[in-house]
Amino acid sequence: MTKKIAFWIFVIGTVSSAILFLGLTWDTHHQVEALSHVDKLSDKVVEGKRMFEKYNCNDCHTILGFGAYYAPDLTKVIRRIGEDGFRFRVKDPAKAFAASWRKMPNLNVSDAEMDNLIAFFTWVGNIDNGDWPPQDSKQRLSRSEERMVAGVGVSPGAAVFQTRGCMNCHSLHGTGGTFGPALDMIGRTLNKEQIEHYIRNPKAVNPKAVMPPQTTLSDKEFEEVAGFLAQLK
Amino acid sequence: MEYRSQKIAYWYFAMALLLFTLQVVMGLWLAYSYSFTVPQWIVDKFSFATARAMHTNLLVLWMLLGFMGGTYYIVPEETKSEIFSMKLAWFQLVALVTTGVVALVGFIFGWTQGRPLLEIPTTLDFVVVVGALVFLFNVGMTMFLAKRWTVIQGTLLGGLLFLALLYLFGIPFYRNEVIDWYYWWWVIHLWVEGAWELVTAAIFAFVLMKLTGVDRQVVEKWLYVEIGLFLFTGIVGTGHHYYWIGAPKYWLWFGGIFSALEPLPILLMLIDTMNHVKQRHEAIKNPLTWTIAIGCAVMHMIGAGVWGFMHTLPQINYYTHGSQVTVSHGHLAFFGAYALLNIMVFYYAIPKIKGIEVYDPSRGKVAFWTMTTAMMLMGLSFGIAGVLQSYIERVLGMGYMAAQSYMRLWMEVTFFLGICFFIGVLIMVSDLLFLRPARKTA
Repeated sequence: MTKKIAFWIFVIGTVSSAILFLGLTWDTHHQVEALSHVDKLSDKVVEGKRMFEKYNCNDCHTILGFGAYYAPDLTKVIRRIGEDGFRFRVKDPAKAFAASWRKMPNLNVSDAEMDNLIAFFTWVGNIDNGDWPPQDSKQRLSRSEERMVAGVGVSPGAAVFQTRGCMNCHSLHGTGGTFGPALDMIGRTLNKEQIEHYIRNPKAVNPKAVMPPQTTLSDKEFEEVAGFLAQLK
Repeated sequence: MEYRSQKIAYWYFAMALLLFTLQVVMGLWLAYSYSFTVPQWIVDKFSFATARAMHTNLLVLWMLLGFMGGTYYIVPEETKSEIFSMKLAWFQLVALVTTGVVALVGFIFGWTQGRPLLEIPTTLDFVVVVGALVFLFNVGMTMFLAKRWTVIQGTLLGGLLFLALLYLFGIPFYRNEVIDWYYWWWVIHLWVEGAWELVTAAIFAFVLMKLTGVDRQVVEKWLYVEIGLFLFTGIVGTGHHYYWIGAPKYWLWFGGIFSALEPLPILLMLIDTMNHVKQRHEAIKNPLTWTIAIGCAVMHMIGAGVWGFMHTLPQINYYTHGSQVTVSHGHLAFFGAYALLNIMVFYYAIPKIKGIEVYDPSRGKVAFWTMTTAMMLMGLSFGIAGVLQSYIERVLGMGYMAAQSYMRLWMEVTFFLGICFFIGVLIMVSDLLFLRPARKTA
């Protein structure tokens, strides 16, 4: 190979890749309008994005998988913990994460800013991004739930508990979230019916409850998980 | 050192070393925050986010200063002339370092653009742009007036121009989060897998040519092939960041295939280095500089090539995206490709600037092996934490903090390795700043 051939490898390699890339960029711009629902990209959402940047949320959390990895991904945060759960954590992190070994700073977010942030995250959560992240993908997690029941012989209720986000807040044997109480001995205080009634709508039992109603579980799953928890004594 | 103006490079290197040390201090704080509980009152005043912004911005700043210093060292020898203006070179150094310091202090008070790695506020962005323009003008004028063009300096100038141009895409505010990330990667990816690779390849080729005495025509021929492959795979390879951001599905194919080819130029660079070393015409005067050069080629291949290859396959990336696996890749790749390159340049140029023909390598050797071993093990411990996270959080769906509690041990291991790395850095910095000539042996 001569230096001249090497030169042409450089020119052709670079130019072809650049042309392809610019072409795809042009097409991406068009497709993103539908994929990200630009029609719903209101000023409120944009204002929320500014707040997200103002408080530098992205240097602890990821969004769409990018950022720092010190705190949970925020892409589907509203779907995962609900608007109330979001407000509670941001408003009073000292209280929300009192039992956690990892803390979140109190950013003194005003109520108006909070509304904008929620609008922003709601919009982000609806971006059609290939069903990522997997931990918030209903489809994937119900499959992993089936695998757990089939593979390890655990009870279906335990599988629901592990895969339907209960452990984001609650723990068993020290594993899981610290946001809600540990449930190691919950069966001593509540029976199966009481547990099922509670998780369907916590506020109906205790108006001050922070736990959001579990709207995504099926009747069968409610029964299974309540049965599982009731026997923890 | 053949030209008087090459001396300016020393001050760029010294600043870079200082900032590198600071970067590692911030890194230790981050690892501490992963391993132990930081009380609420500290978190409220000095959050992880602030420390992380400092850690990453220090990285960018020290590496760019290293590249600039390296450029100021190389260009006079390549053009066979003095640098166009020493005043501009000084002005630019002061401007960039001042911007950096203002930005770092600003972060503590919440003055930030709030986008990872591009946290520097817009006002300061313009100072950076002015600094970059002054630099390009100075280097460009030197080359232009000398009227002596080589492939090495062409690649260097091209890479630096490309680097400065891409920075502009990080400045505006984007309304749409998807588009925001689309162009964020034009800065970050096309820097580290495009422009920076050009700069690195040119600097590496220069040092290799000087060290081995291999014919310029041979070195430059391979340089063309390498940068051609870097840009061919790297430009469309940007697509491996577009899998899950809400961009069209075809990016899974384009990103996946092109980034699977990205290790090729790095492999070529490694083979090429080994060949040149074998066919050397020069005697080995300073063996440590050679060791670092080979270490750089090897670690570049492991961190950027192998780790990058695994992490960018869409099927794997679905589970590992945005986990500690990314962190593992980031640390190994940056250290292998860019930190070691800069360190190689420091060990090549600083002795010459100080007029030391053969330097005493004992401290440098300890520093190099401590840093490299610690970083390699850190890559592994981050990697184990990342695999645990991918499995527990993403496959089993057990929740973020549940996964973090299983990973905690490995983050503690990382913290310990970080301390080892830091010791290596301290030894290296003191060695370079107070470099000693080798004792004469009989």
